[in-house]
Amino acid sequence: MDILVSSLFAGLLIGMVLAMMALGLTIIFGVMDIVNFAHGEFLMVGMYAGLLTAQATGMEPLLTLPFAAVVGFLLGILCYFGFIKFLIRGPMVAQLLGTFGLMIFLRNIALLIFGSEDRALHHGILVDKSFEIGMGIIAPATKLAAAALSVIAFGAVWLLINRTKIGKALTATALNAQGARYMGIPTEKMNALAWGIGGGTVTIAGALLVNFWSVNPFIGILFTMIAFAIVALGGFGSVPGAFFAGLVVGIITEIPGIWDFLTYIFKFDWMADVPMTSLKYMWVYLAYFVIMVVRPRGLFGWKR
Amino acid sequence: METLKNALDFSDFPRVDMTIAGLIAVFLLSFPLFPHSAFAMATMIQFLMFSIYGMGWNTIGGYGGQVDLGKSQYVGIGAYTTAVMLVRWDIPFWVSMPIGVCFAVIWSFIIGYPLFRLKGHYFAIATIATCLVMKDIFEVWNFVGAARGIEISPIKYVPPDFLRLIFKEDIYYYYVILGFFFLGILYVNWFRRSRLGFQLRSIKDNEDVAKSLGINVHWAKIKTYAIATAFVSVVGSFHACYIKNIEPEDTMSLEISILIALMAMLGGAGSLWGPIIGAGVLIPCKSYLKEWLGAQAGFVGIDLIIYGGIIMLVSAFEPRGIWGIVEKVRRRKRR
Amino acid sequence: MALLEVHSLTKYFGGLKANEDISFSMEEGELVGLIGPNGAGKTTLFNCIVGLHPVTSGEVLFNGNDITELKDYEVARLGLARTFQVFVASGDMTVVERVMVGCFMLTRSRSQAKARAEQILKDFGLHDLCDYILSELPVASQKRVTIAAAVGTDPKMLLMDEVAAGLNPREIEEVMAIIRHIHHDIGVTVMLIEHVMELVMNISDRVIVLDSGRKIADGKPDTIARDTNVIKAYLGERYVQEHAAELT
Repeated sequence: MDILVSSLFAGLLIGMVLAMMALGLTIIFGVMDIVNFAHGEFLMVGMYAGLLTAQATGMEPLLTLPFAAVVGFLLGILCYFGFIKFLIRGPMVAQLLGTFGLMIFLRNIALLIFGSEDRALHHGILVDKSFEIGMGIIAPATKLAAAALSVIAFGAVWLLINRTKIGKALTATALNAQGARYMGIPTEKMNALAWGIGGGTVTIAGALLVNFWSVNPFIGILFTMIAFAIVALGGFGSVPGAFFAGLVVGIITEIPGIWDFLTYIFKFDWMADVPMTSLKYMWVYLAYFVIMVVRPRGLFGWKR
Repeated sequence: METLKNALDFSDFPRVDMTIAGLIAVFLLSFPLFPHSAFAMATMIQFLMFSIYGMGWNTIGGYGGQVDLGKSQYVGIGAYTTAVMLVRWDIPFWVSMPIGVCFAVIWSFIIGYPLFRLKGHYFAIATIATCLVMKDIFEVWNFVGAARGIEISPIKYVPPDFLRLIFKEDIYYYYVILGFFFLGILYVNWFRRSRLGFQLRSIKDNEDVAKSLGINVHWAKIKTYAIATAFVSVVGSFHACYIKNIEPEDTMSLEISILIALMAMLGGAGSLWGPIIGAGVLIPCKSYLKEWLGAQAGFVGIDLIIYGGIIMLVSAFEPRGIWGIVEKVRRRKRR
Repeated sequence: MALLEVHSLTKYFGGLKANEDISFSMEEGELVGLIGPNGAGKTTLFNCIVGLHPVTSGEVLFNGNDITELKDYEVARLGLARTFQVFVASGDMTVVERVMVGCFMLTRSRSQAKARAEQILKDFGLHDLCDYILSELPVASQKRVTIAAAVGTDPKMLLMDEVAAGLNPREIEEVMAIIRHIHHDIGVTVMLIEHVMELVMNISDRVIVLDSGRKIADGKPDTIARDTNVIKAYLGERYVQEHAAELT
């Protein structure tokens, strides 16, 4: 029973961070209708940003968030004005392949600069500490903090979108760019802003993630696919959707734990032989496929 | 018989195009007879393989406009069927290859049915999802060697073995794949002039109008997807006999799927020559960049940086590809 | 037996009543106009008849078959074709290829499809445009080509949606000639949605009027033109009251 509960709880924790990561993707898609294959690479950049800042300055890793956010914001805006702006004029084939090119580009620049070995954070007040949260759950402090900060950041973005003038302008552009233009909302600036916020949020997620997940230049694609699954489940363009879907997908990644629990309950021999851990992301991809076929709008989506 | 006539009918291409195509065909036929390095030969074989991948993709992705980014799973099905059948039961290529095509096509119908309920971005991402799922399954499936893959050791067979397609010298492989290449061109030529080809082009233009003209859009897409799959699976089987060492990471990866789509887009999706031009530019580019730049110490990945940059530039500024530029220039001249 | 029968067709989009309880029938060989103010539900009616939208209730019978539940491509294969009001031709299909798509519904053979397409284009007076790329032609020509493509499927009945929209008087003449050719010479039963009154009133045997989702009139053009309900729908209640004397 303990396994089940700790798996679920771990899933929720990681889910919150994953939700944060997917938030950027859903905002960009909502405003501009473009799918960013390089999304995971932005995350990777955020992870390196957080890692290096903490290591270079000896700062407490959790305090590197604002710095990572700025890096992400600038990267997003740079990508928009330098590349995406031109990309959206073309047919969809080109758009998809274009962001894929961006992914290869960023990934290999990182490879060139950072080399291919895994890097991880080893200092900070929270490392190696854990809390016991009843029911036999032992949660590493880093994950707890990451999850908590994710929720706070999520809340902040939600407030930004729903309670500020600029957030409403973004939503207006997302719903109907031309109509928004008639109201005096410049689409170009909104697009750039979407990329900025998208980039900024995902790098925050990265800086949080690097506290308990080591980084190398190749991890991007995995997270891109996870982000797609989250956005599909939550509904392309929906901010609260991304949050709840993130939790669900987080739990899906804990399937090995749940499977162990079920193996224990049902005690079939073959169950122990299934290499669930290697397959755990496969369930995420399958989930994406099934969701899109069965309910393409996702839980809260309004775009089709 | 009209089918054959259609396949061989290139009359709607301008004389210039056909002359150039003829010259290139002569070059391809005679290439191995000139002095060449092993590296050049390997690059040529890669070029031919990817041309065929691209041509297959082009039917559904170019003419049909449905961007499929998950083709590498069928490379895997073709490759693994041939490899497993050879290693375990000594079944020759010419038997295992068609069987591989059958498996691939059956699978494509199974996932095609739900897949084509989606459109646009959603469809593209779903194709990626299926590709990744297949790859993950193959990486843990012991019957096909899991992550280690399958190795065909040439010492067990006596080359040149035409039945099992095991050769010591690349020249044999070259002519086999060249044969498939020419067949592929004929097939695509037939396709674009056939009823299905017209249906696809109409679908790409406007689905509702296509339906109003009696076209069962869903089914047309699925059929074309199966055709593309068959192309890819044939070359996958060839790949197994050529490389003789296949594993999920380099046969079924997402990179290969994207590369296939890229060939066609760069050269000009939706045209007969596009994928060939695309492969002709990208494959030598990739190979030689890797040779010159990638191997140098301290510059790991520069070849891919340039490669990614090229993709970005072409997508943003010339999305209709090289053939698109040619047609644009021609149209301007016609005015 | 009527070629097309529509019984109590109703279509809701969520809470919006687009078509309400519409019934009418058409005999083979008729040319019927469908008019009404914007938003009356004319295009929706076409879409429901043809199967692009599922109906909320009611039934549609074509040539004796119940086609209410059929999909749009199935309906086309039974001989009921339609053109679209708004479309943007994209891509690189030529005019003759476009029409061939329609002809391919009847045959697998490219040469037969091509021959038929060329014949239709010749009859429409568009033969010299055969090898031009559709998306590069002016809108008026594009519209005529799409009509030709629909005719390519050899339909018994053709529903045309605002083929004259945005055309200048000479282009309207050309479209009228094509419609007459389709109707008289080929023998296709035609229903037209139109706003261009001189076209629809001159050419139709009969006119049906929709307003706010309901059918409000059905009769010969000159009767319809004087029907107070129709005038009220277009020009408003006040106009009818002010001009009551002339209208009787």
